[in-house]
Amino acid sequence: MTELPALLALLAGANVDYVLVGGVAAVAHGSARLTMDVDVVYSRRRANVERLVAALSGHSPYLRGAPPGLPFRWDVSTVERGLNFTLTTDLGPLDLLGEIPGGGTFEELRPEAVTLRVFGIDCLCLSLPQLIRAKRAAGRPKDLEALAELEALLEE
Amino acid sequence: MRRSPPQPATGQDPVVEAYKAGIDRTLLRDNLRLSVEERFRRLMQLQRSAEELRQAGRALRTRR
Repeated sequence: MTELPALLALLAGANVDYVLVGGVAAVAHGSARLTMDVDVVYSRRRANVERLVAALSGHSPYLRGAPPGLPFRWDVSTVERGLNFTLTTDLGPLDLLGEIPGGGTFEELRPEAVTLRVFGIDCLCLSLPQLIRAKRAAGRPKDLEALAELEALLEE
Repeated sequence: MRRSPPQPATGQDPVVEAYKAGIDRTLLRDNLRLSVEERFRRLMQLQRSAEELRQAGRALRTRR
């Protein structure tokens, strides 16, 4: 399970630039679908990657689904060499995305994103139209039902 | 919560429209009456329940 209040407080306290995307963002907009992880698009700027790495380093980040004991190092150079990371942490599963189809990078998403005040914290979240565009762009069969629900929310 | 334009057009994809017909909009309307924080708390509650059900399912398979 994801400890959302603790995770959001952690990221806010470390001044990490990120935007909530995916299932949790959909829930923020009223989705009734269950999601088990948190997806965020994070800024790839060096200073932000440093803040992100420092914030999560005390929370046992590890590659989700990977066998234990791999030589995985959670550090700035690992994040800079990669783009997307599906992690387990002791705050729950967390997907860190450098960019998303139909939306792009954090810097491209930020202008249209909405600010949520939740658990006493301000956090950026994709707007409903952004979420719909991202789901359409992803184009995976499994996204079609989620897309239908997002469009229904837009119609409500 | 602030909502931003532009609004994407809906009803473009017949497959999506077919899925839309099966959506229980009463659940969506219930959620829309909640604050975002309440929606997140409900999600975490559902995650806890889902995890307990998974564990129960695993235990059942082990006993067989």
